[in-house]
Amino acid sequence: MFDFPIFEMPTIGLRMLMAINAIIHVFVSHGGAVGGSVVLALAAWWTNKKGDLAGYETVYRLLMVFFIISTSVGALTGIGMWIHANIISPNAIGGLIRVFFWKWFIEWIVFNFEVILLLFWFMTWKPKATTAQGRASSVRFGIYYAVSSWITMLIITAILGFMLTPNFDGQPWIDPEVYPGTVNYNNALFNPTWFPGLMMRTFSSIAFAGALAILWTWLITSFSKDEEIRATKERMIKFFATIMMVTVPVAAAFGYYYLLQIPEAARAMIPTAMMTRAFADKMDLMYMIISGIGGAVVVTTIIAYFSPKRFPYIAATLMVAAFMLFWGFEERTREFIRKPYLIYNYMYANGIRVTDVPYLNKVGILKHAVFVDEDKKVLKEDKSNLIEVGHTIAQIECRACHTENGINGLKFLTKGWSEEAIRNRINNLPGAGTPYMPPFTGTEAEKDALAAYIASLNKRGEIK
Amino acid sequence: MNWKLPFDIPLVVPTMGLPGWFFDTLGIIVFVVHIAFIYTLIGASTASVLYNIFGVFKKSKTNNLLAYKMTNPTTISENMGALWGVAPLLVISVLYTGFFYTAILKVSPHILHIIYGNIFAFLLSYAYKFSWHSLHNHKGFHIAIGLVAVLTFYTLPPVFMSMSNLYLQPELFASVQNIWDIMLTPLTFFRLINFFLTAFAFTGIVMIYLGVKWVKAGGEETEVGRLAIDQGKKWFMWAAPVNIAVLPLVFFAFSPRISEAYIHTPFVFLPFAASAVLLILFFFLLKRFSNEEMSLSDATKAVVLMVVAVALMATARHGIRVVSFEEPLQLQAEATEKYMTDVIAEYKAYKEEMKNAPQVVLDPAVSLADSKGCLACHSVDVALVGPAYKEVAAKAESADILAASLKNGSTGKWGETPMPPQTLTDEETKTLIEWVLKQK
Repeated sequence: MFDFPIFEMPTIGLRMLMAINAIIHVFVSHGGAVGGSVVLALAAWWTNKKGDLAGYETVYRLLMVFFIISTSVGALTGIGMWIHANIISPNAIGGLIRVFFWKWFIEWIVFNFEVILLLFWFMTWKPKATTAQGRASSVRFGIYYAVSSWITMLIITAILGFMLTPNFDGQPWIDPEVYPGTVNYNNALFNPTWFPGLMMRTFSSIAFAGALAILWTWLITSFSKDEEIRATKERMIKFFATIMMVTVPVAAAFGYYYLLQIPEAARAMIPTAMMTRAFADKMDLMYMIISGIGGAVVVTTIIAYFSPKRFPYIAATLMVAAFMLFWGFEERTREFIRKPYLIYNYMYANGIRVTDVPYLNKVGILKHAVFVDEDKKVLKEDKSNLIEVGHTIAQIECRACHTENGINGLKFLTKGWSEEAIRNRINNLPGAGTPYMPPFTGTEAEKDALAAYIASLNKRGEIK
Repeated sequence: MNWKLPFDIPLVVPTMGLPGWFFDTLGIIVFVVHIAFIYTLIGASTASVLYNIFGVFKKSKTNNLLAYKMTNPTTISENMGALWGVAPLLVISVLYTGFFYTAILKVSPHILHIIYGNIFAFLLSYAYKFSWHSLHNHKGFHIAIGLVAVLTFYTLPPVFMSMSNLYLQPELFASVQNIWDIMLTPLTFFRLINFFLTAFAFTGIVMIYLGVKWVKAGGEETEVGRLAIDQGKKWFMWAAPVNIAVLPLVFFAFSPRISEAYIHTPFVFLPFAASAVLLILFFFLLKRFSNEEMSLSDATKAVVLMVVAVALMATARHGIRVVSFEEPLQLQAEATEKYMTDVIAEYKAYKEEMKNAPQVVLDPAVSLADSKGCLACHSVDVALVGPAYKEVAAKAESADILAASLKNGSTGKWGETPMPPQTLTDEETKTLIEWVLKQK
């Protein structure tokens, strides 16, 4: 049942389209906004306390960079998450918005505080920088901003927790045995992963922002024409490295604690989630990658701390790159372990509701595909449009994760398979081999059509 | 009429018992705030580039300073405009879910321009603002950056308005196939003209208000404040009269079903009321046209009148929703009700059947093969991706060779598709191989 118009993203696929936006957003929101606000507020407070006016000016220039990136790239990719979700899985986001409308509205109100405080802090910095009183008030606003962005993250992680435990109280079309309507939100919010998850996010965000601040301090101070600004390089890098020396180990400790709290079954899927199925059982490789990333961060932090003056630019870049890999893996894993569901026990990853499956198996998935042309959804007597019909089914059921010929392409995955083999594979999609796949939904005739279409991808064309 | 509509999301709209007019009002208020910021963004960014150019050609420092000062309302309004754009979309997508998502899908992927194009324009507008002093000897280059930023901002309303015009007219879902089908229509054309004219008129009033503030601050800002007041009046006084002519036309450019029904509702008076308020404001400013300065209370009055006019336009637009959605929303609710009744009946029957189905006792080896994913590629009787177990048994290789194939993976024996290495304990390997070899 997909009753919306079909939108496909060729080559890169819908998953990658979403991932590009999501990963950019996570980098900027964690590093730029949440971590950045704390690190820069601390730096402003520290330089002002020491009476280090050149350092205070360097912090302003850093804030300008963070301000530009987080208000443009960060804010818009945040809205982008939603717009991308709209066009990738309207049924899922439409369902979530019905269930979580008020919580998202509250989140939006909190965002207002964050954006207004940032605008105020940044745009009044210069006029206030001339007097000690002005600077003290400016630093205060920086701290308010840091607190508000941390609260925003607190609320968002709480909502992410809620989304794994949706409440369908009083809904008429829900299976009461699956959702008895007795969701205890306290259990959802204070589940064992929530606290370590939040702490890991908080401290690794601050550490990541420290790395970004070092990178930009290096650039700003090295290319400044102002002698005094150039001289701040050493002490500013040392200051940010100190923040990292504290937050990196704390973040790692909470990360380990977090991993211990994840259920065994979900943990077993992490290597697959991080890389691909071929690495399904390579736990050791996963630990190697994690230690490699962690090691890069630790080593560069130590260099920055003990030798801030000679700290090479390449090390600063490596530091930031390591953090980016970390966030990329973290997000991929978090998204993946939810499969084969989008909304647990309610909706599969391809947007089909669990309750709808028996009915659609009887009448066919294509019966209610309103926006599909008749000759692409109704099989003709002579079966001449079998492949077209199969294509439509693939667009409806496979589109969310697979492309035809690009990333995770059906063509590549079934190379060398007979039509019979493909059809059998469709029979047991959520089996032990691929537990993260939703089941095929539709009639036997539709299964034939889908198998014929997938088999046709690896057949050579002909001149007619 | 034959409608093509998606089903509604089969979950109750979370009204918390609040009446419909509460959400209508909430939607209008958050939209007015959003659009006020967007009008300012479009106008202020344009003004900044325009007075920068004037500053060069007239060799006027005041013009240059005005241009620089207009980058501040640009920064504030682009941030607040984006943020407040979320709220109306949130309200719309919870109340009119099916129509909103259908429209957004029909204009995809172009709709993503409002994200990525916007980021591009944001970054350029920051580059323009923050390179003001360092590029003061390269005015041509600097103005070019600002111009590209402004032109990029100008590309956003056509994209977004295409989506909004499509969702407001669900009868077009059957015929519109992509963004151009809806962008190149008289409705989008009229609404864009109305949008830009309102943006310039609105910015005129913002400039007057800011100008009054600057004059009050005194010192070197007096001159630039006077210029802002003078220019603000002119912006409003050319844009508003043209807008008064265009505004009522917008509401007759919708599809006939909507426009004809709209005439019979009180909403039809609102575009004229908005025009009347603009006219009052026009004469209010005309009376003070030759004054160099203006009192703060007069400037505030002008702002209030302008906001009232925008709120009237927004309410008139809400009227389109009321008129347009009545029939399709009802049809959609009925179709969804029928569909979900069938679905739940079938689902219950299926669960009942599962409960009564006899329990099949499986050979433990079969369960093991299933849990290890073997059955994704193999079956007992027919060759699938890999060979049938019957064939493997018939070949009668030794248990050691089969164990090696399981442990290390294998290719070439039965075709080119490789079997990946399997993670199995020795005990499991033994169980599986014994079972496979029995399948002759």
